Amino acid sequence: MARARQGYLIRFSVRQRLEHLVIMVLFLLLALTGFPQKFYDAGWAQWLILHLGGIDRVRWLHRLSGILFALGALLHFGVVLSLAVMKRIELSMVPAKKDFRDAIITLRYYLGFSEEQARFGRYDYRQKFEYWGLVLGGNLMIVTGFILYFPTFWTGFLPGEVIPAANVAHSSEGLLAFLVVIIWHIYNAHLNPDVFPFDASIFTGRISEERVEKEHPVEYASLIAKKKERAAEEAKEGETTIQEEKAKSPSRKDDSD
Amino acid sequence: MTMDAEKHRAVRWLAGPLVGALFLLLPPILPAAESVSPEVQFCLSCHSNNTLELVLKSGEKRSLYVDVDSFARSVHGDKLRCTDCHGDISTFPHPTRSFKNLREFTLAYYESCKTCHFDNYTKSLDSVHYSILSKGNLRAPLCVDCHGAHDVARPSVPKSRISKTCSRCHQEVYRQYAGSVHGKVLLQNGNEDAPVCADCHRSHDIVDPRTASFRLRTPELCARCHTDEKLMKKYGLSTKVLQTYLRDFHGMTSSFHKREQIAGSAITAVCTDCHGVHDILAVKDPRSAVMQVNLVKVCRKCHPNATENFPAAWLSHYEPSPDKAPLVYYVKLFYQIFIPFVILGLLLQILLHIWRVVVNR
Repeated sequence: MARARQGYLIRFSVRQRLEHLVIMVLFLLLALTGFPQKFYDAGWAQWLILHLGGIDRVRWLHRLSGILFALGALLHFGVVLSLAVMKRIELSMVPAKKDFRDAIITLRYYLGFSEEQARFGRYDYRQKFEYWGLVLGGNLMIVTGFILYFPTFWTGFLPGEVIPAANVAHSSEGLLAFLVVIIWHIYNAHLNPDVFPFDASIFTGRISEERVEKEHPVEYASLIAKKKERAAEEAKEGETTIQEEKAKSPSRKDDSD
Repeated sequence: MTMDAEKHRAVRWLAGPLVGALFLLLPPILPAAESVSPEVQFCLSCHSNNTLELVLKSGEKRSLYVDVDSFARSVHGDKLRCTDCHGDISTFPHPTRSFKNLREFTLAYYESCKTCHFDNYTKSLDSVHYSILSKGNLRAPLCVDCHGAHDVARPSVPKSRISKTCSRCHQEVYRQYAGSVHGKVLLQNGNEDAPVCADCHRSHDIVDPRTASFRLRTPELCARCHTDEKLMKKYGLSTKVLQTYLRDFHGMTSSFHKREQIAGSAITAVCTDCHGVHDILAVKDPRSAVMQVNLVKVCRKCHPNATENFPAAWLSHYEPSPDKAPLVYYVKLFYQIFIPFVILGLLLQILLHIWRVVVNR
C-alpha cells in the first residue's frame, strides 16, 4: 500500500480503488451495449450495434458484463460484511439521522438562509446517496437482468407479465443510473468548482489533509484525536521493551466503507 | 421414326398454301376477324383449321389451331401480329424447325415475350422458377404457363385468378390458402382487399420463400397491409402490430438480423411463425394458433420448456395499459415520474451549489 506523502492521507484502499475501476469499466460497457438496445430504432443505436458486430454480439457482451457486474457486487458485499464482522472496518457508508440533518443544513446554506455549514464525517450525505443509489439500482438491474436472461425459467413460477415489467424496469433504471452518473457524478468528481478539473483520489487513493479538514471535518477531528492517542501510546510503549513492540501486529484501520 | 415424323411435318407445312389459296378465293368468314390485322388473317387461313397439328419426335401432338375469337379477345388481339412472337416463321413455306418434345417447343417461343416485356422478363431471371429452370428442371413455369399464349388476359381480373393460376402447380398450398382468413374472403366473398399469392411472393421475381432473407422480410410483407390505417379500420384490426412486434425481443432480433444479412436460418419468430402462413386464421377464430388457449403450443415450438405462464410474457401486440398488462403500465408510469423527479432534484442542487460558490466570491 502506498504510503501517504507529506500533507496527504490515504483515503481509499487498493481494493476500493480496484472496485471503482472495475465498476467504471463495466458500467460503461453495459451502457454502451444496453442503450442501443433501448433506443433500437434511432440511427446512432443501429450504427453502434452494426459496428459492434451485430445484435447477437451486443447482447452477448451485455450479458457477459452483467454477469461480471453481479459477481463484483456479490464480492463487494461479501468482503465488506466479513471485514465488518471481523471489526477490521467501520461501516461508514450506513446512512444516519445526521445525514438528513446535514442535507437540510446544506440546502439552507446554499439558499442563503443561514451561514452554518454542515460538518461531514468520512462520507457526506451526497456520497452516501450515490453509493446507496448504486447499490439499490445495481441490485435492481441484476435481478431484472437475470429475469430477462432466463424468461422460461422465471415464468415457471412467476406470472408472464413479470417479463415485460422487468424489461421496462431494467431499461428505465438503466437510463436513470446513466443520467445520475452523467449529471451528478461527473459534476461532483470533475465540474464541481471545489475539485475542478478532476478529483483523482479514487484512482490514487490519496487526498490532501487540507481537503479532509475542509470537506470532512468530523473525520479529520477523529483522525487528529487518534493520532494524538497513538502518539501518547507510542510514548508510553517507548518505555516498554522493544520485543513487546515487535510482537504487536500493526493492524491498521484505514480501510472503511 | 424420325424421318417419318419429319416427312409428316413437311406434308403439314405444305398443306398450308393449299388451304390458304382456298381462303383467298372465298370471302373471309371469320367472325371476330375484323379486330385482328390482315397479316393475322392471312396466317389464320390455315391456322383456323382445328385439325391442323404437328407430331413431334417424342410422339406428342401439338395442335397448330388458333382460336381467333379467343385471340381477338386477348390483350394482344388488336396489338400484335403472329410474327411479332413467331418471328422465325415470317416466310411461307415455313422454315423447318425440329423440336424433340412439346416442352422444347414452348421453351423456344416463350422468350418472344421479352421483346416487349423486357422489364418483367429480367425480373423473372431472379425468380426461383428461373433458377430451377436453369438447373435443368424443364417443368419450371415459363411466361406462357401462367399467362397463356394466344389467349393472354389481364392476370388479375378477377384478382382471385392469380391464386388460381398458381394453384395449377401449388395445389396443397392453394388448399391451405383457400381455408385461410385471406383466401376465404377473397374466394368466397370476392373481397379483393385480401392478398393473393403474388401480393406476398411477387409475380415475376418470386424468390425462394425458404431462404433466411425471405423469412426476415416477412414482417415488412405483412405490414404493407397491416399498418394501412384505412384498410385495417375497415376490419377493426390494429395497425400497431408491426410497431409492437419490432419493440419486442423477437422483432428487434429479426430486424437487426435482416440488416446484418445473417445467412442460414435466423432463429427468431416472425409473424408467420406464430400466426401461420398459408393457413393463417383470424385471431378471433377459436382454431387460430395465437388464440390464448393455443398460444403456449406455439411458444413451445421454439421454447420447449415454456409453461402456461410463459405466453403472457408477450403482450399480444397490446400497448401496456391499466387493463392490459397493468404491472408493466404502472412500472412504466413510475419511472416516467421518478426519473424527472430525481434528475431535476440533482440538477437543482448542482445549480444551487454553483450559485452559492459564485455568491461567496
